[in-house]
Amino acid sequence: MNLTLILFFGFVALLLLALGWALRKPRNARNLPTDPHALEEGQRHVDYLPQIRQALAAADYDFLSKRVSRGALQRVRRDRRGIALAYLSALRGDFQNLLCMASVIAVLSPEVAAAHEFERLRLTTKFAWQYQMIRWKLMAGFAPLPQLDGLSALVSGLSVRMEAALKELGERAALTAELASPMNRGGLSAV
Amino acid sequence: MLRDISQAQQILWAVNIVAGVFLLVLLAVHKNYRTYAAFSIYVFLNLILGVLAFLVYRRWGFLSNLSWSISWGMQALVLCARGLAIMEVCKHLLSHYRGVWALAWRILLGSASLVMLYAGLAARHGLGFVLPKAERALELAIAVVIVGVFVFLRYYEVEAKREDRSLALGFCLYSCFGVLNNTVLERFLDSYVALWNFLGMLAFLASMLLWTWALCKPKTEGSPKETLLPYGVYQTLAPQFNLRLRLLNEQLVQFWKTEATRN
Repeated sequence: MNLTLILFFGFVALLLLALGWALRKPRNARNLPTDPHALEEGQRHVDYLPQIRQALAAADYDFLSKRVSRGALQRVRRDRRGIALAYLSALRGDFQNLLCMASVIAVLSPEVAAAHEFERLRLTTKFAWQYQMIRWKLMAGFAPLPQLDGLSALVSGLSVRMEAALKELGERAALTAELASPMNRGGLSAV
Repeated sequence: MLRDISQAQQILWAVNIVAGVFLLVLLAVHKNYRTYAAFSIYVFLNLILGVLAFLVYRRWGFLSNLSWSISWGMQALVLCARGLAIMEVCKHLLSHYRGVWALAWRILLGSASLVMLYAGLAARHGLGFVLPKAERALELAIAVVIVGVFVFLRYYEVEAKREDRSLALGFCLYSCFGVLNNTVLERFLDSYVALWNFLGMLAFLASMLLWTWALCKPKTEGSPKETLLPYGVYQTLAPQFNLRLRLLNEQLVQFWKTEATRN
């Protein structure tokens, strides 16, 4: 087959894929925060961390392995993995809420810096990649479950520090009011 | 005599003209020409030149050199009008967000230039079919710009008016098809010319139907103009957001490395 044909057909195929992605509604659009206080709400997942850690603890598993049948143990392992995945997914939701805030600020700013935006894009891509890797490892049963602890600490720390950063701003009240209007619609609208 | 053009093509030509007239009437009746001035000019110019091309082919035949030159000259004019119409639609989609728009148009312009360079390098060498090659490069650049705008909309979660989206989508799909059609034309040359023209008209008809559908419906009411944040807010917050994200990523990398070592 002709090289020119391949190059152009390939390029158009990539473009159409990108177009399809861009036109598709985000799967988690409904989960986006409805107001700036959602940051605090995001920390709820972290509030349940001690219980989840206990449920995923290796000692707990060892204790069970000596007392229940093999079938029951497998079921427990499966359930634990389900819990870990759900928790990981909730943490990603928290992370996305924070990203959403960053997007809103960029969209509503009269001037944005390309360097900051590219950096955020790079970091977001990197996070998404790492998250998927950990998720696949969990699904395949390779990752020790209690390691999730580290992830949740990161996200909770991020939430707290982000909130602190916002508080530092003298115009915090005005900013909060400004932010509330576009976020309440779960997206921004062009005039 | 239209001996070179098949009956089907003539019918399609007539259908395209009728669809163009209908679209123009729609633009006039709904007073959309105020909002979409460049788009209205493009549709009007396209209609006029379509009729002119029909007369040229009728007079000198479909495969004569003169017809070829005149039709490509008209095509260049249409492409310029299309460029302006697309710029207008892109502005409608993004320009309300000053900061993002300022970033977007620079990136899109840069991407369009790179894509035209790519198209030039990817094309077969030689001066044959220079005009179709140039048109293909422009079509590809147009498609990239529109897809880029949609990617920006998605990335920043900005909702656009349905009409603007449909107009942009019509342009994008037509340009994509134009690229493929011209690439096949370059490969199969004379044996494909008649079909190339027919398919091009068919694709344009599809785009016109999409635009007509978009403009037929009642206008989407836009929300009140967003109030922009004070100048210092972004400059203060953006580096902080990035710092937190970087920290998070670094820790994730460490987490990943720990996992890898354990396994």
